Amino acid sequence: MRIPIRFQLNGMARSVEVEPNDTLLEMLRDGLGIKSPKTGCDRGDCGSCTVLLNGRSVRSCLVLAAEADGCEILTLEGISAHPTALQEELARHNSFQCGFCAPGLVLSATELLARNHHPTRAQIQEAIGGNLCRCTGYTPIVEAIEAAAGREP
Amino acid sequence: MPITCEFEYLKPKDLTAACEMLARYGNKAAVLAGGTDLLVWLKEGMRAPEAVVDVKAIGELHRLEVRHGALLVGASVTFTEIIESATVRSELPLLWECSHSMAFVGVRNRATLAGNICSAVPCLDGAPALLNYGADVLVESADGPREIPVTDWFLGPRRTAIRPGELVAGIRIPLPARKHGACYAKLGRYRGEDLAQVGVGVLALEGDEYRVAFCAVGPVPARALKIEALLNGHPLHAERVRAAQDLLPEEIRPITDIRGSKEYRMHMARIMLARALDAAVARRAGEGPPLGESVL
Amino acid sequence: MIEVEPERSLRQETKVVGQPVERIDGWEKITAAARFVDDLEFGPALLHACVVESPHAHARVVRIDTKAAEEIPGVVKVVTGRDFPFKFGLYMQDRYVFAQDRVRFVGEQVAAVIARDAKTAARAAALVRVEYELLPAVLDPVAALEESAPLLHPDLGGYRHVPWFFPQPGSNVAHWRKIRKGDVEAGFSAADLILEDTYRVPRYAHCAIEPHGMVGLLDAAGRLTMWTASQSPFTQRHVFAEALAPLGLSHKDIRVIAPSVGGGFGGKAGVSCEIIAAALATAVKGQPVKLMWSRAQEFYNTYQRQGLVANVKLGVKRDGSITALEHTLYWDAGAYVEYGANVVNAVGLSATGPYRVDNVKIDSICMYTNLPPGGPYRGFGYSEFFFGLESHITRAAERLGIDPVAFRRRNMIREGDTLAYGAPMNANGLAEAIDRTAEAIRWGQMETASAPHKSIGKSLVLFWKAPAMPPNAASSAFLKFNEDASLNILISGMDIGQGLLTVMAQIAAEILTVPVSKIRVETPDTDRNPYEWQTVASHVTWGCGNAVLKAATDAREQIFALVERALGFDRTSLYLEDEKVKCHGRPEWSLPLRDFVITGIQVQDRTFKGGPIMGRGVFMPEFSSAESDPETGQGGHPNVHYTTGAGGIVVEVDRETGKTKVLKAALAVDVGRAINPDLVRGQIAGGLLQGLATVLYEDMRFDAAGRLLNPNFSDYKIPTALDIPEEVIPIIVETAQADGPFGARGMGEHTMIPAAAMAANAIADATGVRIDTMPVTAEKIAMALNARRPECP
Repeated sequence: MRIPIRFQLNGMARSVEVEPNDTLLEMLRDGLGIKSPKTGCDRGDCGSCTVLLNGRSVRSCLVLAAEADGCEILTLEGISAHPTALQEELARHNSFQCGFCAPGLVLSATELLARNHHPTRAQIQEAIGGNLCRCTGYTPIVEAIEAAAGREP
Repeated sequence: MPITCEFEYLKPKDLTAACEMLARYGNKAAVLAGGTDLLVWLKEGMRAPEAVVDVKAIGELHRLEVRHGALLVGASVTFTEIIESATVRSELPLLWECSHSMAFVGVRNRATLAGNICSAVPCLDGAPALLNYGADVLVESADGPREIPVTDWFLGPRRTAIRPGELVAGIRIPLPARKHGACYAKLGRYRGEDLAQVGVGVLALEGDEYRVAFCAVGPVPARALKIEALLNGHPLHAERVRAAQDLLPEEIRPITDIRGSKEYRMHMARIMLARALDAAVARRAGEGPPLGESVL
Repeated sequence: MIEVEPERSLRQETKVVGQPVERIDGWEKITAAARFVDDLEFGPALLHACVVESPHAHARVVRIDTKAAEEIPGVVKVVTGRDFPFKFGLYMQDRYVFAQDRVRFVGEQVAAVIARDAKTAARAAALVRVEYELLPAVLDPVAALEESAPLLHPDLGGYRHVPWFFPQPGSNVAHWRKIRKGDVEAGFSAADLILEDTYRVPRYAHCAIEPHGMVGLLDAAGRLTMWTASQSPFTQRHVFAEALAPLGLSHKDIRVIAPSVGGGFGGKAGVSCEIIAAALATAVKGQPVKLMWSRAQEFYNTYQRQGLVANVKLGVKRDGSITALEHTLYWDAGAYVEYGANVVNAVGLSATGPYRVDNVKIDSICMYTNLPPGGPYRGFGYSEFFFGLESHITRAAERLGIDPVAFRRRNMIREGDTLAYGAPMNANGLAEAIDRTAEAIRWGQMETASAPHKSIGKSLVLFWKAPAMPPNAASSAFLKFNEDASLNILISGMDIGQGLLTVMAQIAAEILTVPVSKIRVETPDTDRNPYEWQTVASHVTWGCGNAVLKAATDAREQIFALVERALGFDRTSLYLEDEKVKCHGRPEWSLPLRDFVITGIQVQDRTFKGGPIMGRGVFMPEFSSAESDPETGQGGHPNVHYTTGAGGIVVEVDRETGKTKVLKAALAVDVGRAINPDLVRGQIAGGLLQGLATVLYEDMRFDAAGRLLNPNFSDYKIPTALDIPEEVIPIIVETAQADGPFGARGMGEHTMIPAAAMAANAIADATGVRIDTMPVTAEKIAMALNARRPECP
């Protein structure tokens, strides 16, 4: 019952076979060794499994692997090939603590900044509102995103 | 948790093929659009279909367009697409505000309005908008199309008027002819996203006509017709609002669950009705809080 | 006191310590390089496990039928309690790997399936049939104390435990810590006002975003390696060794490796579910087996923060001085208290709060209940008791007509005052913390709410906490140079997010003048890294920091001794600067470290002296003792020192909806010396939000059968980015800790501790409504206000 699918992953063409009941998260982590999307709750509540699917942040634990056929997937590994201003500011601000939520957060913030070069603080909070972080209290993350936006022309 | 049940994954290219598959599997098929409800049900063992029918390859289901004075929201249109539509924001602000209140960006990028009304949970955010705007649910099957007014759609918690073999193709929302202001007030336990413990959607139309609909305070989302009758034709004064609040026990039947007690829900429904009415009337005049800002 | 060079103990010029340097592990988290347990690869031989859990809170296990599960293709083995009749526990051994004759909480593990893949394991686990005979359950700590309550641990008398616990066999009292100081009856007689009330705090969940994860491999040669998301690799090794000794395993046969850990907050301390993976590994020798906890299991089958029913009776004089305190704490500690009983103990010692009270009666009682095991949670019982105590203090002050902040200043503890258990209080900056917090929230100034139906309220409360550890909890460090004079530091303190690795690097950098960017600090591997008791108790900056300080100092001494021996310098004239050895009085001379820290110094006859420079440091407090009089708690020095502080808050409450908005949250903590101020501020932001969540909306709900109703984030709400206070004001106070590295003491837990009481007081200030049961939700506030005004808004 395996289904062949083809997609772009971090800019590279890939083709794999998946079971119908595999999730996109399982395919990425267990099938392809892409470890940055995390299994925090496996129910779509925490956002740690976030990937960009055709440029939009999605919860990969709520997407069947088969649905990725023909799509473009971007994970933190892809963004980190050439670290961005956002990543520099997150490092500079010591924004993360344990780092488990970081991949999802970086992707949500990346999606925001791609669409909105000068977000307000409220817009930043809303954009990352679905990424749960237990360590930081969010303030240093918001400040880093503001700083990164400030670097946009 | 991994999905342990096994099923076939089907991806029909057009509506006819989809309907044929659904006819073949009957109620052993699950329709997949956004998947944000279905995947949770599969993981928790609440659904164990033999086939999952992914409808996202069907082009016409992605349409979000105005035709003959009505907005057609195809079954695969996501909440993000609804929120990003300038037409929705200006012509159907209650639909905009209801959609915006729902979940998070990462869920709205996938979840669909059609899927939302099919899950039919009593706290469904989309319902007050659809009820107040008088929408129709457009359903397809191997026997042809069917239209169901949204007021006849919700039969009970998680139960809708859909029949086995049928698929929601879209939702048609007539654009109101008159200028109006709208407000959706949603009660959550904090400022982060939450399932509504009380939801009230209000339209204040020119000519002092009002539409009021609730979700999360009864087995199905519903219009509050008695309150509307009391308010219609009159400007909004404190006295009239109070009288409307006093009608609430006849209109809603909140329950106590782990999210809130029925007493608190009734108490909040009063406050939210008043604030939503005020905000809708203010917005009708071009004032009031910006769309998307909570009145709570 | 440890032997630290005197000048290091006091405030002095430092170049790296005190700087907000960038985390040395920051980039690996920002670029997806960090590897957590679930990310590790073990190849195609990896097996997966799934546990079978009890649906009942209290029941005898009559029969377990594993046949159907065993027959599923892909299932390798099914195990039950019969295969592992071994007890384990950290402070008391009252827990089994799998339930034996009975289950004691909903979710307790009774069996496990090991299979070739996770889906098969889950499918097979659902087919294991367990027959139970229900027993009456008790879910409340006060009810558990009654004669008629079901007895949860009939064998309590035979459990091994640390000498400072006092269980009462034949009852559900697992431990009873008593403090009797002075004469409370006399104190109450002397009081002008006696205020008594009961406060209730429910259970809470840690909710680290990374669930528990573990992989175990017992290789063909008999070596057990465990990969765990753990705060405590050495303690885990010790508990595994003790529990699995009947299988012939001892400490040297066990290796625990902890990769990056995605948040702990105490939940990944000690041993909870990890013992299952260790046991399962022994059942499939030669094959690695992985067990990942689901989010639901994170909620109901890991440590929870205990529930508390606390009775506070305070005697005060009209002039505002406290004459007596009687504090009775009934802890809902759960089905197994091997770790949680020490929470009860720690609170028993400290439940006066940071106040000078001559007449004290404390009873901190650890009750077994048929609920999940309570255990270490950030604050270790202090958040729980401060809710009641600091609410009570404010109420008493208000009853006397005294400003609540002035009342606290009057009664606050000072250096040298006698603590509840007889030892003296350490140096502290509590007075400064109060002053600066009061200023931050403009205490005493009325503010106008943003709308007529809203009210503003303010509160300022005090807090303190000491590390709750055995008196011989040790830290150690190895430090080695590389050819380019970069450093590897090996410790077994865990970075669970707090930034430990960076702080250790800063300490070494200060001593050895190697920049932080050239220092690596490695995560624990019990084979390679030296011993650390646990990363808990907010003690590793102090304990592990002292060990690293000693290791760096040791390396520096070796360098100076070598230079003296090889080149004839007087070692007392040498110093380090910019990665070079330099000499006072010979400003033109320097010797780069990279020239000799591996290869030695070449001398006149062309031979080489020295060799690789490696430092070693061990720190264990030698002044701490946990033994005291069982009836009075007097004697001993169980707490090494207290970290103190104050928290202040300004809230705006909507009186119609009950919703509380935090306008300002300020927290001042006396860290002794902020080695990295950014990381201290990070703990304040994170801890405050976690604390505010417990008081405003986090809410664990159990049904009458002991089942957790909300084991998920949809219904157990933890803060999102939308919930942050409008303004967070971190305040760093630095009154040196004489025996801390550069004067530092710990503060990671403390930032959460005052939140509940300060919010409850501020809400009372705003609305006149006093809620003494947590959480103080919008619903409770609205209904209390509404009850006073039956006509609705």
